[in-house]
Amino acid sequence: MAEKRACLKVSACVLLIFLSAVMLMSCTGRKNEKNFLKIAVSEEPESFNIWLASDANSRKMLSLIYQPLYIRDPEELDLIPWLASSDPVYFPEDLSYTVSLRQVKWSNGSDLTSSDVVFTINLIKAFQVPRFISKWRFVKKVEAVDKHTVRFYLEEPKAVFLTRSLGVPIVSQKEWEAVAEKAIHSEKPYKTLINHKIEIPLGCGPFVLKEKRQGAYLYFKKNPFFFGENQTIKGHTLGPYIDRLLFKVYRSADVAILALKKGSVDYYWSGIQPGHMKGLTRHKKIDVFVSKKSAFYYMGFNVRKPPFSDPHLRRAMAVLIDKQFIVSLILQGFATQMTSVVPKGNGFWHNPDLPDYGCGLSRAERIKKAYHMLSSKGYTWEDPPVNQNNEIVSPSPIRLPHGRPMEAFTILTPPAGYDPHRAACGTMIQEWFKDLGLPAQSRPMSFGALLNTVKARHEFDTLIFGYGRLSLDPDYLRSFFHSNNDKSRGWNMSGYKNSEFDRLANASLAAMDKFERQKLIWEMQEIILRDLPYLPLYNPALIEAVNNTAFSGWVEMVGGIGNIWSLCCVKHQGVVP
Amino acid sequence: MTMKYFFLKRIVEIIVIFFVIMTLFFLLFHFAPGDPVSRMVDPSMTHEDAAYMISQLGLDQPLFTRYGIYIKNFFQGNFGNSFHYGEPVIQIIGDRLPNTILLFTTSIVLSAFAGIFLGRITAWHKGKLIDTLGTILALVCHTLFLPWAALLIIWVFGYQIGWFPLGGILSPELWIQPETGYVAKALDVLYHMVLPLFTLCIIHFGSYMLIMRSSMLEVIGEDYILTARAKGLSNRQICNRHVAPNASLPVVTSVGLSLAFSVNGGALTEIIFSWPGIGRELIFAVTNNDYPLALASFLFISIVVLVSNFIVDIVYTYLDPRIQY
Repeated sequence: MAEKRACLKVSACVLLIFLSAVMLMSCTGRKNEKNFLKIAVSEEPESFNIWLASDANSRKMLSLIYQPLYIRDPEELDLIPWLASSDPVYFPEDLSYTVSLRQVKWSNGSDLTSSDVVFTINLIKAFQVPRFISKWRFVKKVEAVDKHTVRFYLEEPKAVFLTRSLGVPIVSQKEWEAVAEKAIHSEKPYKTLINHKIEIPLGCGPFVLKEKRQGAYLYFKKNPFFFGENQTIKGHTLGPYIDRLLFKVYRSADVAILALKKGSVDYYWSGIQPGHMKGLTRHKKIDVFVSKKSAFYYMGFNVRKPPFSDPHLRRAMAVLIDKQFIVSLILQGFATQMTSVVPKGNGFWHNPDLPDYGCGLSRAERIKKAYHMLSSKGYTWEDPPVNQNNEIVSPSPIRLPHGRPMEAFTILTPPAGYDPHRAACGTMIQEWFKDLGLPAQSRPMSFGALLNTVKARHEFDTLIFGYGRLSLDPDYLRSFFHSNNDKSRGWNMSGYKNSEFDRLANASLAAMDKFERQKLIWEMQEIILRDLPYLPLYNPALIEAVNNTAFSGWVEMVGGIGNIWSLCCVKHQGVVP
Repeated sequence: MTMKYFFLKRIVEIIVIFFVIMTLFFLLFHFAPGDPVSRMVDPSMTHEDAAYMISQLGLDQPLFTRYGIYIKNFFQGNFGNSFHYGEPVIQIIGDRLPNTILLFTTSIVLSAFAGIFLGRITAWHKGKLIDTLGTILALVCHTLFLPWAALLIIWVFGYQIGWFPLGGILSPELWIQPETGYVAKALDVLYHMVLPLFTLCIIHFGSYMLIMRSSMLEVIGEDYILTARAKGLSNRQICNRHVAPNASLPVVTSVGLSLAFSVNGGALTEIIFSWPGIGRELIFAVTNNDYPLALASFLFISIVVLVSNFIVDIVYTYLDPRIQY
């Protein structure tokens, strides 16, 4: 009996201590909240070594630390001076660009000088850093004219120099010189460089990393030396107006959204699935932002092999695909139909006058049109999909112009767990193709295996693929469709070869006049939409949400509100600007 | 002598099995589709850049050369650097492992205690209400879908009632304050452990309870229990001294293996509760073709499982002296 009583007493004490701890813990961390912005992220960055980091989360964090010479303005998407003080000056006689720098300091208070810029470019070239080298390969020499002036000498005129090369982030010579020196003399220089661990990166952006705890949080403080503070750039008076910035890791989107609703975080820096929209829009404390993305989702054909080498078949297949259905039902309206390989949001480069196969047609009209397109080119059916009374019927398998039946083919997609929309598109398109007797089979495949099958081995028929973060410069058209890139691990995955396109792509790369280049890029889009190695499908919208109780002033741009402009402009609502 | 011979034989077996596992893992990852460079979806990266990266990572070497380097590095204790984190994989595993052990091993131990305790009670009261209710509870918990149960628990206790945090292993707001002491930090981690631990316990205790219950029922029917009753021993004495110890062998096997496998964590639990453990890293390493990290993680798990099996064999001889090898 006495034993039982003692046991009860101990249990009561344990329970009491535990409840006290719960109360104590639930009250912690709620003081001094003003100007303290908390952001939920789905993953922590893989690395703070800028030469290694290739994942989206590393890029997000590093964009707050390392800064480029030029940056895109959020409204017009034009390149504007950032670390540079003015537009670059071009000297055609020696193919050089001169860039003047602002008075910028690194976060340790030392000056950012032209030597840092020269060092960064020379490091990229010396180590052939794969993510950046293609933007600098054509630059012959970089020299520091004086402490705040840099001159770049090009081997030949390249349009992408302004749009892509000058967007590369600059690193501190002091931080990297010794590392680079040691790495360059090692057996595998690049491997040695990327294996260098950076605990606290030295940057010149609006925030400085103070502390990180693996798998839990990243804590930034305002950079007291940030060059942009109180400056008005493109109508935005920059802060940052927040003193402290905390990134909390929530690996489940459902839980991150609960944290947002509860007020544990102010913003969830990740795209939200349309299924959450209803619950978010109903919540008074939540503001939802739906932004355009520079993204491109498409159906690709392996044009190296018949029958997909026949553009007539590809066009007929395009007619069968109902993009309106995909956008309105599969993506629940949070996307736009794509009519070109350049997204509409990228206004200057997007060609608006391109054929939209099957646009506005009903299901029956699509089948009839595709049937007539193919039958006029020698494709036959034992039982055609359109009978003599012009009615749609279940067809027999299609026969190719030489008379043999078309072999079953696959539509590769990423699995539903990776991207439910693409997997659902595969299933729908498979059924639409069957309406015409095309023996399609949608096959989800793990992303790594899919890339290996398509990009390295070229062993596929068709696929549904996409790029979620395309550069705003349309030079990727050259990567995707130039015949030089039809190689294992090259980006011309469909194996498209067209000498006219190659000529235009080369010319667009060399065109230094923006409008001349626009004309060439538009022509390239016309050719692609005519030949259809890729059929553009949709561009998903980016849904983001913020808790509106504490902070306001988010800056929307292509790619969402998670950008350096937002973090430089967002203010606590108690602060008068 | 026989025992010594048995243990020596088992050690040799473990070494041979480990080398077979090492080789199999190496070959599996070698032949698995994809490579870490293909996944970098950056159209500005040319195929020459990709090839350069592959050569720098040493993935262009022939199979036998790579295998030789792998074995040599293993004996030097060098497991290489992760392709994605750029850090030594030993350090990555070392960072995540304590978190995994803290949560998953604790959950196995707690759920095993709860399962054994309830299994004893239900078996002793076979056919009564307590047995029926206990068995139903165990079956329901055992068949719960973990992500659903976890989200429901978070929603109720973390969001609606607000007693517990929504996820993570700690409160960043507390840890970034320089004045926070070790005790407060330790309490904070315990506080964050409550919901994931509770979820794991209710998922796991059912299986231990059912094993213990069926094992107890088997032992209760033995002649020596009838003898114990005839000798006039009390129910408590019969249960604690004669039934439970003899019925615990299958539970020991189950708990031993569960403890061994607890080092690989659980990706779903770690993702939903944002618990920075090794399970999610394993999935990440495999899906992103991070061979050094994946190989080292699997080898580590193999070692733990092999050694645990060996320990269970030893424990058997102490628990049941009738067992002879």
